[in-house]
Amino acid sequence: MKQFLRGNYPLDVVIEEPAEAAVAGATEAFERKALSRLGGSICFVSKKGFLWKGDGTDGSRAADRQPA
Amino acid sequence: MDLGRQIASRLNEATFERIAGLAIANAELNRPRIGRSILDLAATLPGGDDRALVVAAGPSLHRRRSLERLRATGFTGSVVAVDGALGACLRAGVVPDLVVSVDPHGERIVRWFGDPALTAPPDDDYFRRQEMDPAHRRDEVAANRELVELVDQHGPRLRLALATSAAPAVVDRCEKAGMALYWWNPMYDDYDAPDSVSRRLHAANGLPCLNGGGNVGTAAWVIAHAVLGKRRVGIVGMDLSYAPGTPYAGTQYYPELRALLGERYAEAFIHIDNPHVGETWFCDPAYYWFRDVFLEMAREADCRTFNCTEGGILFGPGVTVTPLEHFLKGNDG
Repeated sequence: MKQFLRGNYPLDVVIEEPAEAAVAGATEAFERKALSRLGGSICFVSKKGFLWKGDGTDGSRAADRQPA
Repeated sequence: MDLGRQIASRLNEATFERIAGLAIANAELNRPRIGRSILDLAATLPGGDDRALVVAAGPSLHRRRSLERLRATGFTGSVVAVDGALGACLRAGVVPDLVVSVDPHGERIVRWFGDPALTAPPDDDYFRRQEMDPAHRRDEVAANRELVELVDQHGPRLRLALATSAAPAVVDRCEKAGMALYWWNPMYDDYDAPDSVSRRLHAANGLPCLNGGGNVGTAAWVIAHAVLGKRRVGIVGMDLSYAPGTPYAGTQYYPELRALLGERYAEAFIHIDNPHVGETWFCDPAYYWFRDVFLEMAREADCRTFNCTEGGILFGPGVTVTPLEHFLKGNDG
């Protein structure tokens, strides 16, 4: 912003320029948020098959479920 | 690459952003109500026929009178309907063997089962604006009232494959209608990755995770072959697109595309010639992504897939396009 704003008096505070990376990050976050409104109702995970029943190492709690 | 395809190429991540927070919150709310697993389903369906017909809610379902033709043939395979097609099925006298629901939306999805609380047209024009179910466009409140009665009447005969992501209002409605609920988790991410959401969810409730392919229609197709074990799966009403002549304002993502792109919104639509019906259909980026994903999944599936929609944009390697009667009568080769 310094190239656009020039005052004729000194400031008491130091104004830090935002890093380019931060600006790019904010833009990307905005784009992501905007795009998220166009997505589907369920995810797709490539190359992970159709159905995952667990691998027995994850503390699956099927036995704890109450019948409907 | 044109704008629509550019957007479509980013929708995998965008879908996670769109639904994961709400879907996982719903899963936590639903947890005390979870009973039967989707893995218990196959044993409850009549055996002896290795075919299933997935009924999605695209415009061809009405344009081609697919349900009336289904009813006329005495099809002996399993009928698996998405939630959005349930009303059309029941009105046509087709009681699905299984209904599938996944979308976590808090207010909209319960309408597919008839919302007893709806007494006046809501501010949300989602159902009036689109042609997914023309009955809702004509008179939204009357269509809802009729659906409440139909679902109450048939509920005790209906099985519902319900994702843990579903809104509690949907669970309430379907339980009260007497449906038999069979639960599953949507697969959100790579279950082998560190801090996988899918793995955490499975550890919490013990349910299998199903790779849903972006939309409920594809999820229903996955259930038909990967859960029910069907080897020949037909699909109707899965246009993944809009019929020629549909106004852009009558499409599902129109408000979102206007908000995102302003006056350039029309550039996001993708037009595709369907050589099987000699028509040009069009889709928004989301539907184009659904199509790409479906074709990728169809190549890997342990079943043959027959698209009997007779419209839309879903054709390519792994999908045989055929008239509905050929599939229903077993003349599909």
